[in-house]
Amino acid sequence: MHQNKFKSIYLSLLAAFICLLFPWSGLALTLRPDFMLLVIIFWLLRAPNQCSVGTAWFMGLWVDLATGGIFGQYALAYTVTTFFAVIYQRRLVLFNSTQQLVYVFSLLFISQLILLILKTFASKEFLGWSYFLPSITGVLVWQIAVTLGLNTGRHSRGK
Amino acid sequence: MMQGIHHNFDQQQAPAFFARGPSPLARLAFFTALSLALMATDSRLQYLANVRESLMTLLHPLQVVANAPSQAYRFTNEYFSTHHYLLYENERLRKQALRQDIALQRLNLLSLENTNLRNLLQANKKLTETSTLGEIMHVGRDPFTKKIVVNRGKNHGVVTGAAVVDATGVVGQVTRTYPSSSEVTLITNKSLAIPIQIERNGLRAIAFGHGRDNTLDLPFLPANVDIRSGDRLVTSGIDGVYPAGLAVATVSEMKTTPDSPFARIVCIPTGGIENHRQVLLVSIPRTEVETSDDSAINEKNKPLPVTKSGAGSLMPAANPNTKPVQDSSKKMTPGAAEQNPQKPLPNNQSAANASE
Repeated sequence: MHQNKFKSIYLSLLAAFICLLFPWSGLALTLRPDFMLLVIIFWLLRAPNQCSVGTAWFMGLWVDLATGGIFGQYALAYTVTTFFAVIYQRRLVLFNSTQQLVYVFSLLFISQLILLILKTFASKEFLGWSYFLPSITGVLVWQIAVTLGLNTGRHSRGK
Repeated sequence: MMQGIHHNFDQQQAPAFFARGPSPLARLAFFTALSLALMATDSRLQYLANVRESLMTLLHPLQVVANAPSQAYRFTNEYFSTHHYLLYENERLRKQALRQDIALQRLNLLSLENTNLRNLLQANKKLTETSTLGEIMHVGRDPFTKKIVVNRGKNHGVVTGAAVVDATGVVGQVTRTYPSSSEVTLITNKSLAIPIQIERNGLRAIAFGHGRDNTLDLPFLPANVDIRSGDRLVTSGIDGVYPAGLAVATVSEMKTTPDSPFARIVCIPTGGIENHRQVLLVSIPRTEVETSDDSAINEKNKPLPVTKSGAGSLMPAANPNTKPVQDSSKKMTPGAAEQNPQKPLPNNQSAANASE
């Protein structure tokens, strides 16, 4: 059972990583949701013992590698975000779907905000408010996944 | 109600109250410290370059998998492209070839003439650049930096610092090489500067990427500088990175404000930074530059001792006797000697030598 769960966690993370590696360009690039963080948040809700801050940090390193930035930026952003997710994990499972959406949005937003702060330290310019669009598309993807029947923890009591 | 909540807690396999390892706060502290240490190491020291390279090799198969759908789509698209389109393209290419043939003939003549003149001058031979054709794999994923990744890397002889050019102009410069791919920073990136020359009047300047929108800036030029909108910027070649004479950008806006001593000049890059797939990676062999430089110095050291200073070389050479003096100027400023082969000869000199 545990073995199975581990497998599905890492397979889904790998799938999210490949989604990230797609040759996005132009508008799609500005709209691209952070698949990796979405999958991590999902597993934080469903299997917090198997997927935790360490996993998020590790996957963040791979995202850093793929984006070609300085090592540790995404890792730090994911670490802090998952920290907030883990703290409120028990409350989160009780949330209804709207509350959950707001919560997921704020998590995505936090990760982008941390990245923005890190990039500002590296003397990069703010890209305008469209920079935060991936948070919104991320929530949309989350909602679509929920509508399609993905169990995001709220109904997990039956299992 | 209360019971329901308790029921919830019992059933979910989420945080058990025992055996959950270190607290989230401890984990946060640990991994944050680790990330910060990594960032510091990566940005200040060079230790991680090799690690990154080997990890990128690991990542390559995944990248190929991720690229497969779009590649397949393009392939089928090309395969089923219409007869009409092919005919049209064939026609267009034939016309283009004809036009370029004529230009090429002129070029042959000119390069022949140029070689003759250079032989007369005993100047360094113009460097031949090595170039590799690459295809853009994907646009950089970091929205803060303007980068692209091309499918040629160290295994194909690409070196960091190579200029990246497409059919219409300069695109950027290779900033990182991996075994089978390399990262190109576009000229519109804020941190990239490119030495340019105004085609109309030969004025030299340095263009910087603007960073946010796809434009270039020409900063720190006085308000009365002779630049108009519509001027074409070409590479000056004095940096030893970009071959001279490549199109870079067109001036689109030239503004002067009374409160600033500098003009605000905005240029639009001519290279298809966002829309082409094939690019050429051009690298100028650095070692050859040095050796030819050294030989020039050695040759020069053997014959008559240098008597005149560099000032003498400023005068146009009217007879063969002044040649060593010109060489001496090269020796005294090795940097200039390195740049020299890139630059077209000043008109008066070549004219003087041609008349001999």
